[in-house]
Parts: sequence; structure tokens; C-alpha cells
Amino acid sequence: MTELSGVDPLVTDTADRLFSQVCDHESIQNAEANGQANEIWQAFADTGFPWISISEDSGGSGGTLLDALEVLRLVGYHAAPIPAAETGILGGWLLSNAGLELPSGIVTVLPNGSQEITVERAGDDLTINGRGLRVPWARVAETIAVPIELDDQTFVAAINASECQISPMTNMAGEPRDTVHFEDIKVFAAPLPSELTLEAFRFRGALSRVALMAGAIEKMSQLTVSYTNDRVQFGRPVAKFQAVQQHLVWGAQDAALARMAAESAGREANRGDALFEIAAAKLIANQAAARATKACHQAHGAMGMTQEYPLHHLSRRLWSWRKEYGGDAEWSSWLGRLVVAQEADGLYPLITGGSAALG
Amino acid sequence: MRFTPTELTEQELELQQEVRDFLLEELPPGSHEPCLGMAARKDKAFSLKMAERGWVGMALPTEWGGSDRTAVDRFIVVEEMLRWGAPVGHHWVADRQTGNVILKFGTEEQRERFLPSICRGELGFSIGMSEPDSGSDLASVSTKAEATTGGWIINGTKIWTSGAHENDWFVCLLRTSPMEDGNKHAGLSQFLIDLTSPGLEISPIPFLDGSHHFNEVTFNEVFVPETNVVGDLGMGWHQNTTEMAYERGGPDRWLSPFSTIEQLLREARGTELESVIRDLFGELIARWWGIRNLSLSVARLIDTGEAPSVESSLVKEMGTRFEQEVIEKLVHLIDLEYSPDSESLFERLLSQCVVTFPGNTIRGGTIEILRSVASKGLKGLPA
Repeated sequence: MTELSGVDPLVTDTADRLFSQVCDHESIQNAEANGQANEIWQAFADTGFPWISISEDSGGSGGTLLDALEVLRLVGYHAAPIPAAETGILGGWLLSNAGLELPSGIVTVLPNGSQEITVERAGDDLTINGRGLRVPWARVAETIAVPIELDDQTFVAAINASECQISPMTNMAGEPRDTVHFEDIKVFAAPLPSELTLEAFRFRGALSRVALMAGAIEKMSQLTVSYTNDRVQFGRPVAKFQAVQQHLVWGAQDAALARMAAESAGREANRGDALFEIAAAKLIANQAAARATKACHQAHGAMGMTQEYPLHHLSRRLWSWRKEYGGDAEWSSWLGRLVVAQEADGLYPLITGGSAALG
Repeated sequence: MRFTPTELTEQELELQQEVRDFLLEELPPGSHEPCLGMAARKDKAFSLKMAERGWVGMALPTEWGGSDRTAVDRFIVVEEMLRWGAPVGHHWVADRQTGNVILKFGTEEQRERFLPSICRGELGFSIGMSEPDSGSDLASVSTKAEATTGGWIINGTKIWTSGAHENDWFVCLLRTSPMEDGNKHAGLSQFLIDLTSPGLEISPIPFLDGSHHFNEVTFNEVFVPETNVVGDLGMGWHQNTTEMAYERGGPDRWLSPFSTIEQLLREARGTELESVIRDLFGELIARWWGIRNLSLSVARLIDTGEAPSVESSLVKEMGTRFEQEVIEKLVHLIDLEYSPDSESLFERLLSQCVVTFPGNTIRGGTIEILRSVASKGLKGLPA
């Protein structure tokens, strides 16, 4: 029997316990009001969790990508308002692969690469102008990692956040997604290994969101089951009504589907490029989030529409993450081209073999 | 509820390749009209060939003619057969559930009598559950078996009986003692009935497109020998519930439209597909990949000795709705007035999907009943 969760159970237990202690309804609410969650981040950073999967030689915590994704799943499950993905498997990954030292503080990344910036290169030095949009937690970051493609090579610019002007902006969950202005920023052009292209970064970003989304959908489904079994109307728990059962079942299915997609893609990414799996998983998670938020909100009735009840911590994050690192249109189009190129006889082998079938 | 990701081992991948080679040899693309999933044509010669490879009654023990293989091995064979549109109709029911029921609850004599011929692909079985007044409320069945010397006398009517006009045997849920107040699950028993028994009448109930799958089976003083009772008297409900668990969550619940989708791509060869159709292909293949992983993990769970009834109900409810969604999305985007008599195989298959797929979320337990089963099971979750 091949069991492939491959995750150290200690990681799951410790992260789950940590978030249960420090990340409750009130602290998430406060983080949204204050634009940061320093206490939650400190507790998280003290365990070394942000740097899992980054080698100890580069200043990371060691461990596998699967462990790091499991932590992200739990970040999503508890709706923890912290830049876990940015500091670790995105920013930390870029910096360590470019041979740069990891800072002790928060790292963030320009999610859309170098879209709205201009870069001039003089030897090993870059001068950067322009702006980065929707940069997670830039306001509290120490370093902003910017992946840049120049002359057929990808570089990382590790920019000191204090040198930039930052305009606070948020996503639909009230999490920081700031605009960062670069004005004549001089920085060293640290080259990445040739396989780490901007496209590889995009897939990595999508994988991080899939893990977060899988956790959030699962928690949302569990909240809904428990709420509808407690809430009594017409003399019985509303979960006894067939019309409500439909919502419970749909929520649970999407939780299972998204988690299976996240874990299958993670397993493949841990040993190869996993392009098919990550693209499929992001599209699945996007659509699962759309269906599950609808079903879970409907089953909660008016209570789910209030700030005092925690459903919105999950649903608003899901609506934001659905569009980050590729919405439905981007991934269905990417997958569609790949699938159609396999022709009829290659269609089923792609479903069963995934990236491995692409040869 | 937990679906653990799993993947195929080296040996399992070899089996998958073996089945693909067999199908390429027996049914090369273009040589046959693909069937749409489990409602496949009955082709006894094909069933016999599969049986020669050991692919019928796979999970049954070797002493009864089976191959003693795992649920995952059986998943692989079924998956490949269905995605190929193979004519698996003759052995389908026997392979999926009747063999298991006889092995689990049958007498030594019944095992000897039925299992080897099931594994040879010879016997076709029908299932007798629904009645004119008992559909989703299955426990209300009223067709009666009354004890007589050496056996039972049966009177009543079974309905929606697929393939009774072609099959050999009938596994029936019958009332052996009157309905008790407060315990309607008691007093039911399972019987093996020869479909050629005197007094048993089979009349067709034409399907909406005029084809013949369904029948009404009427019992008029039909004698069934004592040796044909399966399991313990009065335990029929429990046995039947166990049997249903074998038929949920497998590839037959999410693969029915696959041949149609594949054929679209085959016929579009050499032309540029519109981008919306291409995007749809991307979306559908992603979903198939996701649902298949869930369904495979259920098979793996069964091999560890678990009875994942909530998980398999969730997969069946989702899979059958997905089958309908595939066709609806395709119909929405395709600018084509397709016809069941078209020269294009794709058009013929699509027409058949449109007309017959409403039944996918009804057969073997409606999705409404499945939701009730699954949502009760979800209650134990932490929150």
C-alpha cells in the first residue's frame, strides 16, 4: 500500500495546536483592523515554521516542501492572517535559490513578477523603477523579493522594504495587499538556476494558494455541519432537512476535492515540476471555493453574513485566493492547450498519469 | 471523512498497461460503437474473453475461480473498460456486487454453484429491489415469499429490472414476514431466483428512447427451493445495504461521458478548436483527475478493510452530477444541431448522453437519498 501524505505528523500537530492557541476569532478581527498581526506572526516565527523546506545552510528550517504545504493548509484552516507563504515557499525559496541570505524578518514577493516595473541592468547591478501591485504584507516586510526576467535569464532582486514607499491596500478579506513604489532602487542582480523561470514562480504561487484554500474550505465545511446540527427550526436541527443536506454534502465534497488536489499536486511538486497537477489543482480549488462558499453561506442563513460569526474569515479569504496566482480563465486556458495537444488517444493517459504522461 | 491520496504501484501500473494492450487488440478505436459507462451492451463473448484474463470476479478468492485481487486492481480494470466504452454489460452486476454477496452471505453449496461460473463470465444477473410502490423507500417492499414444503412461494411484482429479459438469474429482496410497526427493516430476505422459473413473467418497460433495458417482473405462485435463500432469513435489509456499498463511488459513477468527449477530439483532428471548447477540455480533464483521485482513494481504503460508506456516497453524488455537467457544458458551447442518426459518432454519442443521463443521478439510489446517507455520516466531524 502506498500512503502518500508524506508529512511529518509532528508538523501537523504542532502547527494546529499553535494556531488554535494564538489565532482565534478576535485576533483575526484585530489583525484586520490593525493591518497586521504581530503576535500571531511572532508565535509562528518562534517555531521556525515560516522557513520549513528551506535548507538550514541558507538559514532555513529544513524539512520538505510537503511539510511546508501542510503548514500552509493549516494557515488556511485557521484563517491565520500572516505572510506564511510569502516568507517561506515563495520569497524564501527565491532568495535561497539565488544564493542570498534570508533575513530574520518577513519576506514578501511581487506576486505578478515584474509586470509594472522597469529594470536597467549594468553588470551585476540593477536599477528598479515603477510599482508592485497587491504585494502581501509589504508594510511589515523586511525584504521584498522581486523575480525579474532579463536577457533570457531570471534574477532575484532582494529589495530592502524600508527603501520603498508603500501605500496600504487590502484584499477582500482585509489582508494587506499593498502597492509598493520603487524609485531608482539600486540592487544586486542575483541569478536563479535556469529552471527557475517566472513561469515556475507562477506555478509555485498557485501551489501555495491551493494549500491555503484546501484548509479554508475544509474548515468552512466543518463549521457548516456543526452549525446546522445545532440550529433548530421547525422543531428539529436544520441539518435534518433534505434541502439543507444538499449544501452540507456539496461543501464536504468540495473540501475533499480541493484537499485531494492540493495533496496530489504537492506530492508531485516534491519530486518534479508538476505542471499539470498544479494547474489542475488551482483550477479545482478555484471552482471548489466558488461552489463551497455559496453552499456554506446558504446553509448558515443570515448568521453567516455577520462579522461576529467566523464564516467570513474563510469565505472572504477564499474569494481573494481564488484570483491570486491565476483565476479560472488563466488555468483553464493553460490546461486546455496542453490537453488538446495530447489528442484523443493521449487524453485518458493524462488523467491517470499526469505530468509523468507528458514525457 | 478522510480521503488519503494514493497512487498506483509498479505492479498496478503493469496491470493497467495489460488492460490497455488487451483493449487496443480487441477493440481498436474506430472498430466499435463505444458504450456510455455501466449501461453497456451485453456481449457474452467479450465477457468470456475478459474472464480468461482473470478480470471477472477479480476480487473473489481463487478457490471459487476468482483471482483474489484487490479492490484497487478491480478499479483499474473497470476504469479502463469504461473509459474505452467496452461492452461489459453481461457480467457487470455479477462482477460488481452479486459475487460479493454470495461469497459473503451465501452457503457453501451456493458458492460452489455460482461463483466459478460468475468468474468464467458466463452468468448474467439482474437485481430485484424496486417495486411499483417501493422506490427510494426500499424497506416498504411488499412482494411476498411464503414458506411451503421444500421452499418458498412468491407473489408480487418487481420493477425497473435491468436486463431481466437477457440475464439468467435474479437476486431479489422479498418480504418473508409481515411488516412490523417501528421496524420496517425486519422481515426482509434475499433470494436467488432462476429467471426461467414457471410463473415468472417478464415484460418490457421501454426506455424513453424506445430501447429495452427495463422490465417488469411478475411472480405468480413462483416456487423457489429452500436452497436459494441467501444468508439468514430476515437479514435481507442488512445484506442489501452491504451490497449497495459495493456499487458506490467507483469509476462507473464518473466516467459515462468520457467516450463522447474523447470522440469530439478524435473528430476535430486537424482542425483548430475554438478557444472556449479548448478551455472546457482543460476544466473537464482537471475535474476528472481530481474525482478519480478521490475514487481511487476509496478503493484503497476498502483494501485496508474499511467500509467507507460516507466517502463512497460523496463520490457517487458528486460523480453522477459531474457526468451531467460535462454534457450540459458541452451542449452549451457546441454550435451544432446534433442528431442520434448522424454519420458522426460524436453526434450520436452526444445525443445519447443528453437523452439518457438524467438517469445517472437516479439509478442505484437517487442523489437525494445519497445526501441523506452522507450528511448523517458527516456529523461526527470535528468543528
